Amino acid sequence: MADTPIDKIAISGPTLASLIQRFSSSSGPLDGLLFGHVSLLSPSTLSDDDPSSSTTTTTTSTSQTRIATVTSFISLPFSSPSGHLLPSFPSSPSPLGWFSARRRSPLRPSMREFSVSQSLSSSSTPLSPCLFLLLASPIHDHAIHTHEYRAYQFSVSSESFGSKSIDIVNIGPGFRGHYGAFSPNSPFPALPCVVGGSVMIEDEKEGEEEELVERRQLDLCAEGFEVRRLRRLMGSGAANYTAELEDLYGKMLAKVESLARQVELSSAKVFEQENLNRKLRHKAARLAGSE
Amino acid sequence: MASDGVPPPLIAAQLNYLLNHFPLSVKVDQMWSGSKYYPGVLDRFTIAIPYCLDVVKWDVIYNVESPMSAPDVIFGPDDENFHPLSAKSKTDSLLDDWNSRDPTRLMALIQELRDRYVEYQKKRVAEVDDDRLKFEISTIVFREGIEMYMSSGAEKPEEVRFAVPLTDMNIDKMVPGCPWRHPPKIYLQVMYPVGRKYGSAPSAPRLKLVSTSELKAIFSIEDVKLPPWSDGMCMAEYLPHLEEFLEKQILEAVSLIDVRRRFIEALAPLFGRPLEADPVFCRKATFLAGSGVFTFLVHFMIPTQFPKLPPALMLQSSQHLNSQGVPLKSLPLTDYPWSPRWDVSLMAERIFEFLADEALNFKRYCNESQLQH
Repeated sequence: MADTPIDKIAISGPTLASLIQRFSSSSGPLDGLLFGHVSLLSPSTLSDDDPSSSTTTTTTSTSQTRIATVTSFISLPFSSPSGHLLPSFPSSPSPLGWFSARRRSPLRPSMREFSVSQSLSSSSTPLSPCLFLLLASPIHDHAIHTHEYRAYQFSVSSESFGSKSIDIVNIGPGFRGHYGAFSPNSPFPALPCVVGGSVMIEDEKEGEEEELVERRQLDLCAEGFEVRRLRRLMGSGAANYTAELEDLYGKMLAKVESLARQVELSSAKVFEQENLNRKLRHKAARLAGSE
Repeated sequence: MASDGVPPPLIAAQLNYLLNHFPLSVKVDQMWSGSKYYPGVLDRFTIAIPYCLDVVKWDVIYNVESPMSAPDVIFGPDDENFHPLSAKSKTDSLLDDWNSRDPTRLMALIQELRDRYVEYQKKRVAEVDDDRLKFEISTIVFREGIEMYMSSGAEKPEEVRFAVPLTDMNIDKMVPGCPWRHPPKIYLQVMYPVGRKYGSAPSAPRLKLVSTSELKAIFSIEDVKLPPWSDGMCMAEYLPHLEEFLEKQILEAVSLIDVRRRFIEALAPLFGRPLEADPVFCRKATFLAGSGVFTFLVHFMIPTQFPKLPPALMLQSSQHLNSQGVPLKSLPLTDYPWSPRWDVSLMAERIFEFLADEALNFKRYCNESQLQH
């Protein structure tokens, strides 16, 4: 498992766009970690359009592809100039790999980037697969804003980068396999799915500890509106509760809006502070050099 | 390219130190900015570092947002397997304990990387599956300073190049008052084609002598005729013979400096004291001469093969300017009575006589060209 080669790297359009946006809005080069999952995809020939193809669906299991799907990233410095991991390197959750974004430089892994990948794949909890996504922009091009990227898998056995193709996940028949292999990954606990009122009542009486924990988590998400009360939405007294629920939604929306406003304001402040820091750093560097 | 800017002072200090103090002549190929906000502040550059009689080009990537951090390096597209940080090495600590205020840091880094590159190329060449090559390496491995290079590429045929430094003569010490910063070096470039398994007898490698440019002042390496490489020869056999041969030629070239000096001294009684003369290598001298009221300068350009070859003379008028305000000059003159067997004073005399006639031609030429303007 340590060195299983993957066939392809997939990234969703919005994740890639957000990564590029993060890069182009940052003042300097960026490092960060990539998260996601590895899955085995069986290409599906099921099709809505062509009914004749349904006869051939049984013969697909032979050509499975191992695909690493990048679902999120975090931009943070985690390695030293020589490519060793910093002590602050997060041990969990385990990333799929990392990315480096640098402006106006060749689209080839640098000395440090190789070393970082090597450190990641040989640390106490080695990354597998150890992906590397390199983003750069051309040296000469001023007129057109171009972003270039290339993905690699670091092979531990041969100590080298293997170039991998990137699939940008989209909607359409070509991406059907992704739906087949989808596994939800969320901190939100699963709602116990029960059918029929009688079970509900029994359930209420039993109050198993396990469920209590889950329920408390759910209640936390609903903030003051017990999940239990949702039940009353069904049946005879539903009309009264609808108003209550609408009220809850209204409050939630207001809360979200004020939260968004706060984020906006604090982002503006952070941006201002970053600008100031940058100017100070620039000044300091000038002074240091002219001493 | 985007050179209409300057590197930040800390980076500039390190780059300048590298350019001025590196034992080999490093050149900056291009310089540009990777900054979003300060396009005039250049924080990345490509440097060309001499290696194995060629250059390797590396991109040094600093970060203008944090000019106090260590740079990163991107090597050439052919060297994707060169990973100097991968083994436990000095390079790691050089980068992790980076001190941006120390101007020697970049040079130390490049020096260390180049040393690692020499090892990397040696290892690549050692992996080539070629019996003759393996034998050659085993017999010359004890020689110091050999550099090897394995060239491979889609268009180029695979070949292994060696740069073998020749002779440990300190030529700069043999020339009094020599201004050279480093002793000049002579290398033999040996190129072996590899990977042609079906060839019959191994052909002779391609050979070329190369020297550092300073040596041109006393010795022209292009004029050396290499001894032949006979069938079945190896470098270990060829090199001592070649070195002996070269050393003889260099000694002769150094002794010729004195012959040139005596020639310049012999010109003085006829032309007067030289206005200007090259006192170290005695390759150039300029005298003031006159023919009636027409005064002109005579530039003597003395070849390294003097006295076998005559000096080239160039006349420059002190009274005639062209339309751009530049003094009129003659073409270099070498076609005049000359014999290498003459004594230097006789050479001087014959040139003086020749110039007495030539001065009239030159004066006429000057007057005519000026009339045209």
